[in-house]
Amino acid sequence: MQSLHFSRKQLCIPYALFLLLFVIIPMLLILFYAFTETVDGTIRFSFANFIGFFTSTAKLSTLLMSFTVAIISTAACLLIAYPVAYILARSKFRRKNVLLMIFILPMWINFVLRITALRELLDLIGLLGSQNYLNTIIGMVYDFLPFMILPLYTTLEKLDESYLEAAADLGGSKFTVFTKVTFPLSLPGVISGVTMVFMPSMTNYVVSDTLSNFNITILGKLIDQYFTAYDNWHMGSMISIILLVIIFLTMLATGGFKDGDREARGANLW
Amino acid sequence: MKRLLCGALAFCFLLPFVLLLAGCGKEQQKEVLRVYNWEDYISEPTQNSDGTSENDYVDLVAEFEKEYGVTVEYSTFGTNENMYNELKINPGAYDLVCPSDYMIMKMISEDMVEPFTDDFLQNSTYMRYASPYIKELFEEKGWTKYAVAYMWGTMGYVYNPELSDTVEEDLSSWTGLWQEKYASVATIKDSVRDSYFLGVAAVYRDELMQLKKEYETGKLDRQTYNEKVTEVMNRTDEATIEATKDALLQLKENLYGFEVDSGKQDMVVGRISINFAWSGDAVYTMDDAEPYFNEETGKEEPGIYLNYIVPEECSNIWFDGWVMPKGANVELAQKFIDFLSRPENAVANMNYIGYTSAIAGDAVFTEMTDWYSEGEEGDLDEEGNPLVPYDLNYFFDGTSDGEYEDGTYFIYVSAESAKRQISAQYPTEEVLARSAIMQHFDDATNAIVNEMWEEVKGLPIPVWAYVVIAVIAAGIVVIALSYVYKGKRSEPKPKKGYRRETN
Repeated sequence: MQSLHFSRKQLCIPYALFLLLFVIIPMLLILFYAFTETVDGTIRFSFANFIGFFTSTAKLSTLLMSFTVAIISTAACLLIAYPVAYILARSKFRRKNVLLMIFILPMWINFVLRITALRELLDLIGLLGSQNYLNTIIGMVYDFLPFMILPLYTTLEKLDESYLEAAADLGGSKFTVFTKVTFPLSLPGVISGVTMVFMPSMTNYVVSDTLSNFNITILGKLIDQYFTAYDNWHMGSMISIILLVIIFLTMLATGGFKDGDREARGANLW
Repeated sequence: MKRLLCGALAFCFLLPFVLLLAGCGKEQQKEVLRVYNWEDYISEPTQNSDGTSENDYVDLVAEFEKEYGVTVEYSTFGTNENMYNELKINPGAYDLVCPSDYMIMKMISEDMVEPFTDDFLQNSTYMRYASPYIKELFEEKGWTKYAVAYMWGTMGYVYNPELSDTVEEDLSSWTGLWQEKYASVATIKDSVRDSYFLGVAAVYRDELMQLKKEYETGKLDRQTYNEKVTEVMNRTDEATIEATKDALLQLKENLYGFEVDSGKQDMVVGRISINFAWSGDAVYTMDDAEPYFNEETGKEEPGIYLNYIVPEECSNIWFDGWVMPKGANVELAQKFIDFLSRPENAVANMNYIGYTSAIAGDAVFTEMTDWYSEGEEGDLDEEGNPLVPYDLNYFFDGTSDGEYEDGTYFIYVSAESAKRQISAQYPTEEVLARSAIMQHFDDATNAIVNEMWEEVKGLPIPVWAYVVIAVIAAGIVVIALSYVYKGKRSEPKPKKGYRRETN
């Protein structure tokens, strides 16, 4: 019996197929829907959705709202996650992986369940129904915190301690060492974390719906409405494309596409 | 050990697929009926987590399969629009679907449905037992040939009567929700059609009340009155939409929030005290909130009695009905409709779903008497007041197999109870006179109304949001400028005494 031998090219075929089926074709479909409209049952090319988005008060204010919610959530996540990741990475505790796991643990529970539980909790505290924006941001932070902690932890953990020692030897105070050495070196982790939190915060409408009693609309909700309630896939696709472009631009601005040095690549695992 | 564990895990993962394949092989060539219905919209036994089922509710689908020796492929949808899209993508994939009123109108107008056979229209179980009121309504609107009603009801407010002394009076108008004293205690539906209806009712309150007055003084007959109300409630001109948007934006400030499904639970636990609800959900909410006797502990569990009210101006009468998409197995689909139309099966469905079936008949009336009756004519309630008759003749007349006589369909309840479940289950004739059917909007109108709803949901933006955006924008500009500045700065000159390393 002849032994099986696969060349590199042959081994690529399944992945290429996967990419084609689940990435390229869906993207083309979205593009197709975004730049067409259905008039009397026939589909035709049009920019109506594109113009419609940028001339609609409702959609632009939703975009603005999503931005605000996402920015505040990301900033809050970063403020909470950085100290945690720092302490975890620098601690002399033998089993710090266990500590890390405790922070990641909520991710193992279905997130709709967690948000429903959070709703009850907020009701108990008395925030539900009165503090819609605060609740939504609390929900986003609660939900996405692990995505911020993990890349930060990874970069800080891998940080070569000799850099810090050298900085201290040269007379840097603890504060200077942090601002001049630690933080700049952990930037790849920060960027990775920010991307991981910022993008989903713009679209995760389960959180905003549940915790604001449907008072806050974000872009994800709008897309959902166009597909399920308004029966208009064209506008739904257009909003998705616009979101995609925004995310692409954010990635570009934060340098997410750069083939970075070793630290950066390690952090971008997440 | 590890290997064993892996093996066991793999086995567990693969087991369902193996069973599925085995199951496929055994299937005989039976006739297949493909039913597409709302989630939780037919009586079926409660499933336990281990795969067995409780013996609590009738399994109607299984009974139908057994009786007719056919296979039913039963699938469900979540919204009318999803269902419609599925039908468009997969024409001919279903034999029987259950859309709501406006979607039925749209499907009929687009010629997507099969008509019923003449035999069905004359001799079917549905025609025998469906309520005369429903049949008349369908006849009047011209749907009889294409659709049969399944469940129906009205829209109104469920409220806690202890909220304030005047709550009943306040909520006898849709505009009650706009009052400042009901700030943060009420929710409405997160659905454009239902909320639009509420907004329009508030905008045209004066006109509707004028019509009502004319009807009550005899200037308008019942049918003209109903037609006029329907016309008002289906207005979609620019001025109406604009006024409705303003009304709803105003209302939003006063609300606790919007809801899709959480309103029922929020009412029961007392998180909110007023909910804009479909009558079927209202019954469910009132049932759940009531004090009840716990048989396991032998104790009386506390609760609240909630009321249901259909405001004076108008209401929306809604229904979900069966239609057969083009290419359906008409014969078998009609058999399934007839099977569901047997009064005892209608009772089973009402028990399970909690909504009101369009089917009348002896079994249904007996069940309703069982649920609601508090005595006979002339009996007194707990406080010594005589029971009041709740008139259901309009619904049940002519559907009896001999157990009841026409004109005797009264259920005697206390004045208090008449405001509760029964009023949601079966609206009075007086309520029905002012209940309008919401038409299906054409695409252009839909787009405008949806845009209006988006604005209601998306506005207003708080000032601090602008501040945050402004700060961020300023930050970006500063960073960008600093880069530009850095780029322009030339290489720093070597300081004195510093010697460049040279080879």
